[in-house]
This record gives sequence, structure tokens and C-alpha cells, in this order.
Amino acid sequence: MIQKKVCMVGVFGTGKTSLVQRFVHSMFSERYLSTVGVKIDRKPIQIDGTDLTLVLWDLAGRDGHEDITTSYLRGSHAVLYVADGTRRETCDQLPELRALVREAAGEVPELLALNKSDLKDRWALAAGDEQALARAFDLVKTSAKSGDGIEETFRRIGRATLATKEAKS
Amino acid sequence: MPDDRAPWGSAVAGGRPDPSAEELAELRQLLLGPEQRKLRELERRLDAAGVTGDELAELLPEAIALRTGRDRQLARALAPTVEGAISESVRRNPREIASAIFPVLGPAIRKAIAETLAGLVASINRTIEHSLSPRGLRWRVEAWRTGVPYAQIVLKHALIYRVEQVFLIHADTGLLLAHAWAPELKASDPELISGMLTAIRDFVADSFAREREVGGLRRFSVGELTVMVEHGPRALLAAVVRGQAPDSLLERLQDTLETVHSQYAGALADFDGDAAAFEPARPLLEDCLTTVVSTDHAHPRHGSRAWLPWAIAALLLGAVLGGLAIRSHRRWTRAVGALESEPGLALTRAERSWGHWRLAGLRDPLARDPNVVLAGASVDSTGVEQRWEPYLSLEPAMVRARARRVLAPPPSVALALAGDTVRLTGSAPLPWVIAAGHASAPPGASAVDLSGVRPEIPADLAHLVREIEGERVLFQVGSAALDGQARDAIGRVATSLLRLDAGVALIGARGGLELIGRTDPTGSDAANQTLSQQRAEAVVAALAARGVPTGATRVSGVGTSRPLSESDPEQQARVNRSVSFGVSIR
Repeated sequence: MIQKKVCMVGVFGTGKTSLVQRFVHSMFSERYLSTVGVKIDRKPIQIDGTDLTLVLWDLAGRDGHEDITTSYLRGSHAVLYVADGTRRETCDQLPELRALVREAAGEVPELLALNKSDLKDRWALAAGDEQALARAFDLVKTSAKSGDGIEETFRRIGRATLATKEAKS
Repeated sequence: MPDDRAPWGSAVAGGRPDPSAEELAELRQLLLGPEQRKLRELERRLDAAGVTGDELAELLPEAIALRTGRDRQLARALAPTVEGAISESVRRNPREIASAIFPVLGPAIRKAIAETLAGLVASINRTIEHSLSPRGLRWRVEAWRTGVPYAQIVLKHALIYRVEQVFLIHADTGLLLAHAWAPELKASDPELISGMLTAIRDFVADSFAREREVGGLRRFSVGELTVMVEHGPRALLAAVVRGQAPDSLLERLQDTLETVHSQYAGALADFDGDAAAFEPARPLLEDCLTTVVSTDHAHPRHGSRAWLPWAIAALLLGAVLGGLAIRSHRRWTRAVGALESEPGLALTRAERSWGHWRLAGLRDPLARDPNVVLAGASVDSTGVEQRWEPYLSLEPAMVRARARRVLAPPPSVALALAGDTVRLTGSAPLPWVIAAGHASAPPGASAVDLSGVRPEIPADLAHLVREIEGERVLFQVGSAALDGQARDAIGRVATSLLRLDAGVALIGARGGLELIGRTDPTGSDAANQTLSQQRAEAVVAALAARGVPTGATRVSGVGTSRPLSESDPEQQARVNRSVSFGVSIR
């Protein structure tokens, strides 16, 4: 059984929790996020015949990145950033957030889920902005509502964690 | 390819139409040399009578596999050897085999225990089912009310504690490395619990502990459940315990965690999400899944006899304390008595308070070590405060010891104290007697008496002494004149005396000479006395004339008072008309 620790970080209200809610095995309620500051879920996937369990640490991000408990990031095999495509400031805060995460988790594979892709009419990013983000991050557009891009997100994250293992060995 | 080869072949055939046998051989050597060598090696191997060790080592595994696949003959042949080897190994070092089969035995034993326990519960169940005790009825009602099987209700009430789940968790990632749980339990999502436990640990550490190394969350309880967490540098061990978890369990977890750290050091350091390496650690975790059931349901006693156990305990305690006090007092009396009666020790202060002993006094340097004296009285002297000042004891035993130290007599000499005189008796080598004669009396004694010690003179000198003392200078009746025979005797004595003097001087001693003149019984005593004196003086004068120093020679005429005795009266008379010699060496 191969397990990988994946931390999900993002500013409050990016739909981070609802993004994975329907797709994972969960036993803890969302109250944990506001109390302990983290909620842990499990997502089993198969990559090229390898059974893999992603242990997803959903880190609470309430009013800004200062609230992240950085010790939760320790030992992560990958980090999933979540931003809200309808709120520009959630993207603007990404570089600062990334610096914080890298300090705690080290250089691990990263992926950015640009959420709420179903809300085209309220989209706040211009094509140029998206390209800039895509240059900085490995980017997937997701929708918690429709489920678009979510399985792809898990697969890319899973593949990335396995790839680092191979690269190490 | 054939096109390339054809011209080369024709060139050889065309260029050398008739190659000599020698050239052919050379060509053969060039083309087929390696193959020929191989062939020769193969021939050599076939010819060799046996197989070398190296070859056997190469062939053995394959041969065993081959034969094992064919029939069971090999297994039958090896069985006695393997059985013998195993029993020999067990006899020599049982630990090796025990640790090898431990992973197999552990689960088997646990399964057996679980089954026994299940049987026990069933038996309790039956017993109570048939008894209509109020407790049985109460539990039955509880089972009916809660819908839980009756046996579980019994276990619940009899249970002291049970370790239901054990998690081995990677410290950095919070990922589950291994998990063990009680067989009848439904374990739900251990991966998530493992992660959350780590998160909670971090949460508590971040929230309440100022420094990370405080140790983190070790124990928390929810209702009947307690979660105990043992932290290691690379892994945590968490146990979910139902009931009253004793602290000894933490030690057990610690032991297990240490074992995991030592056995899986490499796997822990390189862990990258694949927990397969920790599968063999599961038996270690399963060992922690203990169930402790109380065998006694005694309820607290009520009423007038509730004090009884306390009273008994108090009595026992009193008896033990009293016994200890008496024992301690006896030891003290014994110790003080032994020290007081020990020669060379003078106890001036002995105090005892709350088990602390203080002793002070005087100690002769030659006295026995007080600790040895105490040990002789079966008293352990550790923790006894002692202070001893040096002094000289005049007790006879100490004076004797001191005399022995100063004089160092050989074993053949006995040393005794008579009043204040050290008296020595026995025999000793002459040099020691001389040295002892010069030694001063040790403190506590005024004199050393060596008169009872017979000096052992070196053999050559003893021989000379015997020669001198064996000589007689004989005289004619009524005469003190020296005849030819007498002069000869004096000549021999003089030679011996001179040699003796030289020998005695060499060992630092002094020789003494005594001459005794005698007469036969005829004549008056007065005349005989005078004659014997004259005879002795005549001999002294003759010795002096021969160069013998005679200044300190004692000369005496004894007349007939100390006759030499012979059986024949005539012979006796002749022998006593003489001068004889006595030699002393000091």
C-alpha cells in the first residue's frame, strides 16, 4: 500500500473543501477545519496499475495565509493550491502563500486548481492573467459544482508524487 | 555477407594453392585456438576424478532444486541432519531459534489466548445464566436494554483494560506504517485516524507547548477510551485503550517503539509512502493488543468490618517496622561490642540516629581495619560515618605485633611478652640473631631477650667448632708440662681457631673461647685445683705462642669437680688429666 500526503492550501472561500468533498472517503466533519485547522480525507486512485492512496490534508485558510498551521505541511509529498477564478485576490495571494508553504514543506510537486470554472459570467481573470498563472504553476481548471477537472487534478498530483519517488531512487 | 566472404576465401585459395602442413597448423591455431583451449579444459574436467569445492558450490543450489523437483528423496535424506542441527542450535543458543520463529509463534499464541478468553467469557456467561444472582440479573437487564450480547456485557464489567488498536505512524508525514486491531473489532479508516492523530499532536504542540521538544501529546481520554501516544524520532506509536489504561502500558509502547526504530531504522529514514516494508512489524504491534480482565469482583466492604483490612495492614506494618528496629539495634550492639574488644582500637564515640551511624576513636596503625572488624561481626559498614585518630596501643597483643614488626623473627622463633620484656625462643640463623641483638625494644617493651634463641651457625664453622671441641690436650700424672702429643693437639686447635676467627669475622659475629683444665681424682682437691689451673694456662700460653688471640679467652681449672666420664676407671682418669675447649659464637 503506497500512501502520499497531499496538502491542500488556499485562501478562505476558494471552495477548497467542497472541491474534494464528493470525491473522497471522509470520516471527519468540517468542524475540524475551524477547530483543529485541518481535516483529513482519503482518495484511492490507480496510476499505471499502481494502487495509491492520497491522504489529503485540507488546511484551513480563514482570513489569510497567516492562519495556516505550517507544522501540518511537514512531510508533504505534494501541495495542491486552490484559487477562486471569480475572485482575483485569491490568485494574487498565491506567490506569498507559496513562499510560506515551500518554507515548511520544502520543494515538492505543486499543482494549482483554479476553481469555480463553471461560473463563466463572473470570471475575474483575463486571458493574460491565466497564462501568467500557468507559467508559474501546473494548472488545472476545476469546478466543484460540475466535478470538471477534479479527477484530473488527483491523477496529476498522484503521478507527480510517484514521479518524485522514481526520481529519488 | 556471403559476397564479402567469397573473395577473401578465393584469395586464400588462389594465393596459396598448396599450403604446407606447418602453415595449416598455424592457421588452425589462429582461427580455432580459443575453442581448442576450451575443449582441452572440458577434457581435463571430464578426466578429473572428483569435483572441486568451487565447482560444487556452483552446482549445489541448482542440484538441490533439481532433485527436490523430482522426488522427496533429498528431503528424506536431509531430515535427520536438519533435525539434529536444529536441536543442537536450540541447545547451544535458544535465543536464535526463538527470535527466528517469534513472528510465527506470536500470532498463533495470541489466537490461542483469544480463543481461550472467548471460551472463558462463554463459561462466565453460562455460569451467570444459571445463577440468579442479583448481579447476573442486573447485567441481563442491561444486555436486554442496550441490545449488546450478554457475554460482552460480562466482559465489559470484568474488563480492567483492553488495547483495541495500535497505530504505527510516520512522524513527519503522519502516514500509517502499520496497524493492528483486536480481531472482533471493526477498524475504520486507520489511514485517516493516523493522519488526524498526527495533526492533533501538532495542533496541541503548536497551541500549548512553547517548544516542540516538550514531547507532545501523550495521552487523552474520551469516555471509556484512552489514546496513548508514544513519540519516537521517526515514528509514533498510538494505542487505543478501553478501560483503565495503566502507566505500565506506556512503557510497553515505548519498548515496542524502540524495537521498531532499531529494526526498521533504514526503512523509517527512507520512507516515501510505501508501507509494505513495515508489514513485518505488525506482530510487534499485535503484541501490544493485551486484554486484562479482573478475576475478582469484590465490592467494597460495608459496615463494621471495613476497618479490618486497614487494621491488618497497620499491624503488619508495625510488625515489620518493629522487626527492623530490633534487627537494627542488634546490629548496633554487635558492631560496638566488636570494635570495643578489638585490640588496637579504642572507641571514644558511638552515636546512632535514624539509621545513621557515627563512630569515632583511636586506632593503632597495626590494628585491623575497623571495616574488617565490622564485617566480621556481620555488619555492613557502608553508610557508617567513621573517624579514627592514630595512637600507640600498649595492649600486649599490639606490643607483640609491634615487636614482630620490628624484629621480624623467622618462623622457627616464638615471640612472647613477659612483663615488659620481649622473649624470643627457638633457633634462628646466626645473622638474624646478631641483628636482633642490636635492635632496640619496640614501644611498649623495655628489653629484648634473645637468650632462648639458639643461633644456627653456618655448616663450615659448625664443623670447625666440632673439631675444636672434640680435641683434648692430655697431661702426665701430676704434671702441667706439654709433651709432644699435647703440642700436636694444641697445634691442630690453633689452626682451627684461626680459621674459625676468620670465618666468624666474615659474618659479623664474635667467637668466644673457653679452656677448662681438669685432673684425675688422685691427690688433694686443693692441689688438683691448682694443677688444673696450671694446665689450662699452659695451653693458653701455647696457643698465644701460635698466634691465636687469647685476650678474651676464659681460662678455668675445675680440678675434679666437673669430670669427663668414661666407662673404664683407668681411661676416665687419663681423659681427665686434660684441658678441653668450649667455643661460643655471638
